[in-house]
Amino acid sequence: MKQTDFKGAITKEVSFFMITPALLWQVLFFYIPLTMIVGASFMYQSGISWQHYSSLLELPYFKIITRSLLFALINAFVCLIFAYPAAYFLARNVKKWKNILLFSLMLPFWTNILVQIYAWFFVLERNGLCNTLLMKLGLISEPLHLMNSSLTILIVMAYCYLPFMILPLYSNLEKLDSRLIESSYDLGANSWQTFFNVTLPLSWSGIKTGFFLVFVPSFGEFVIPALMGGSKYMFAGSLISHYFLTVHDTSQGAAFTCLSGVVLLTIAIVLNWYFSKKAYASRGQ
Amino acid sequence: MSIFSRYFFPSMVLCLYLFLYIPIIVLVLFSFNDNEFTYQWSSFSLRWYRELFASTEIWDALKNSLIVATSSVFLSITMGVLLVFYSGNSFFKKSFLLFYGNLAVPEIVLAVGMLSFFAFFSIPLGLTTLIAGHTLIGLGYVVPIVHSRFIELDDRYTEASLDLGATQGQTLMKVVLPLLSPALFAAGLLVFIISLDDFVISFFCAGSSAQTLPIYIFSMIRAGASPVVSALSTVLLGMSSILVLIFSSLQIKKMDILR
Repeated sequence: MKQTDFKGAITKEVSFFMITPALLWQVLFFYIPLTMIVGASFMYQSGISWQHYSSLLELPYFKIITRSLLFALINAFVCLIFAYPAAYFLARNVKKWKNILLFSLMLPFWTNILVQIYAWFFVLERNGLCNTLLMKLGLISEPLHLMNSSLTILIVMAYCYLPFMILPLYSNLEKLDSRLIESSYDLGANSWQTFFNVTLPLSWSGIKTGFFLVFVPSFGEFVIPALMGGSKYMFAGSLISHYFLTVHDTSQGAAFTCLSGVVLLTIAIVLNWYFSKKAYASRGQ
Repeated sequence: MSIFSRYFFPSMVLCLYLFLYIPIIVLVLFSFNDNEFTYQWSSFSLRWYRELFASTEIWDALKNSLIVATSSVFLSITMGVLLVFYSGNSFFKKSFLLFYGNLAVPEIVLAVGMLSFFAFFSIPLGLTTLIAGHTLIGLGYVVPIVHSRFIELDDRYTEASLDLGATQGQTLMKVVLPLLSPALFAAGLLVFIISLDDFVISFFCAGSSAQTLPIYIFSMIRAGASPVVSALSTVLLGMSSILVLIFSSLQIKKMDILR
């Protein structure tokens, strides 16, 4: 008995030492840095004040955050609208070639994001594929200026984030019980009614996962605007990197980071509440 | 199924694949283009590939990327497994929840936080700081994946092992690790790819001394694209397709083991 107690004590000690590295790593490089960002945002001339936040209450900053939010929301919607039918078809109707089709869906997802962005230069540049085709077809006489526009940024963002939407939708729709759809048809519903009353309500959880996987990272995106939009459009991510890497104004940058973080969190909570309500309502019916 | 849905869905899928693959195909084709001006086709050549393999800068960047990726895979898997296994029945049972934030926070916020952390303690930026950052991201993937697999494991295996006199360490090495190995391999591969592809953390935490492949590509594109970048991108595409093939064959095997 005594021995077991002793052994138990040892394993508790050992356990503590074994889990320490991961916990230490997490605290050192995740929790402390995030706390430091929040702390730095209140530091003003070696005192504590709201100064950095009050200087952010101006129209340009408001515009930048709204633009980032808008682009992230539009991006998530565009991805959803294009990914849903494709994911539905792949999950439910495809039998042959399924593995190859899935493999080719995953490939861009595993490809370096810079390679994906770079590939679009060949399509959109002055002498790129798009202009060449349009000229050959005689639709335009002079090359269009396709780079550096907000539409370009949106297209490339949708391109980079599409797999993040398709994969959760696919795994959700694949698990959907086909007997429910069959019984809906048997009970006389047409395909639209079946879709809106059976399929869509049952896929809310997949939509939610995909939506957040696209929305949250595209809010902070700064590589795509930096490479595709030149310096024409400022986004939240670009301004953060400008503060920290170009002008080295850590506390002002920290204040802006916190402010955009709070905005993002608020929107995410509202969206989460909305999706949960939808999912709950569909279960209640 | 109506006529509409019969044609609508396949054409949607076709459009999607065209959208995903046209840029990539054009990129690969133009990497074989013998022309200084990247976007004008002249004739087939392998000169950019020769230039690619002759460039020391690219090899250095690749070496750095591989060092960072391998170390962060090793560190995050080791620490993640130890955490999941040893926190099982202790006071820290729920400590895995601490790791769920890593993926929910936008990467740029994480990068900026780490940058200020390193600056505050005047830690010089370089490969070490990069490994620290990538391991943190890696933990965000490894801990949830390994934890969910570990929960699914039948408790009787570990209990039997402990009853038969094995120490906790022996149980971990001889019972739990072999049972978890497919999940560990998949998680490791995922962390490897994510570390190789990561741009944001590397851009903020690398400093000027350690250049990784994505940072190199970024600066090349910014400086005005050179056809060497197309050749490099094609090579990287080939590498990722091999890794995806390994990953998907692994998932099939993993399912076989579970059944």
